[in-house]
Amino acid sequence: MASLLTIAWIYFRIGLIFVGGGYVLIPLLNHIMVEQYKWLTLRQFLDGLALSQLTPGPLAMLATFTGFRAGGFLGGLIATVFIFTPCVVLMLVIGRNYHRLKNIDIIKNTLDGLLPAVVGLVAAAAWNLGVSSLSGYKEIIILAVGFALFKWTKIAPMFVILGAGIVGLLIN
Amino acid sequence: MSTTTNKVRLTEIFLTFAKIGLTGFGGGMAIVALVERICVREKNWITSEEFLHGLAFGQILGPFSLNVCTFTGHHLRGIRGGITAAVGFICPSFLLVSLLSWIYFTYHKLPQLQAALKGTNPVIIGLIVVVAFDMGRKQIKNPTGIIMALAAFAASVFLNLNAAWILLGAALWSLCRSYYHRRLVGWPPC
Repeated sequence: MASLLTIAWIYFRIGLIFVGGGYVLIPLLNHIMVEQYKWLTLRQFLDGLALSQLTPGPLAMLATFTGFRAGGFLGGLIATVFIFTPCVVLMLVIGRNYHRLKNIDIIKNTLDGLLPAVVGLVAAAAWNLGVSSLSGYKEIIILAVGFALFKWTKIAPMFVILGAGIVGLLIN
Repeated sequence: MSTTTNKVRLTEIFLTFAKIGLTGFGGGMAIVALVERICVREKNWITSEEFLHGLAFGQILGPFSLNVCTFTGHHLRGIRGGITAAVGFICPSFLLVSLLSWIYFTYHKLPQLQAALKGTNPVIIGLIVVVAFDMGRKQIKNPTGIIMALAAFAASVFLNLNAAWILLGAALWSLCRSYYHRRLVGWPPC
């Protein structure tokens, strides 16, 4: 178990570079939790992703799951509070001053310009996770079916994931 | 600016956003649409224009679903309102995820659960691939964008660089570019 202070510091730093929406957390948390600190195995990380897709709220709740693993209930609480502290503080500051914020264009242009990097990172996360966790043709087929369902149908991700769980139960 | 004539009670803010947090499946824009329906159209807590400003600022850091909640809460009752809205919004999912994490880490050695999760893992990777595709189609608009995406991919896959450093590098590059662009086209005086 990691100390709560370590957890707080790690998640606070992640909160500071949490740009481009929730999916950027997949490469960030995968690197820190699985490769660097080895708090979770790759399988557990993917299971946590499934879990945060099954529950309401932002994907960022993956922080709660990984924090829970690192330090129990308190670890999850600390992780959640600290990963969201930077963005909540920023929104409060903006809320107070937003009539005066006139340099918004440079902020907006910078953000737009960096989004392709987020795309590259998300693709790389899929690649890294796939290469190290997929084995056998059955899993490749499930991936392909899942991809097709997410891409070309409007079925809610929750049901696709639950369906995949049932399929896994039947064939394994 | 945040002192509205008839103040909304903090408990009401908390309960409203907790309800949004509990019913907001699908993440991101799906939740923003829910917040918009309840806070702009049903309760008239914030005008549509101000809400959109909040959404624009909400793209800067963190999940924008949470950010629009904080922004709306702040609009109603200042800093305390913003924090109340943020906590209310996160609370239900936090409790749910904590409960499920506990169940998961207690029982994940069960063969049945293992088998089911073996089925969900590939699907999750499929979902990430779809996200990369869709984000790419929307966010990559020019050759520079393609190069940046490929460079980030390569730096992560082949050089095994930390995603955080890649992001910082991209941010710095992008900041320089937009600063340069701003000087090039001139800047309308404020």
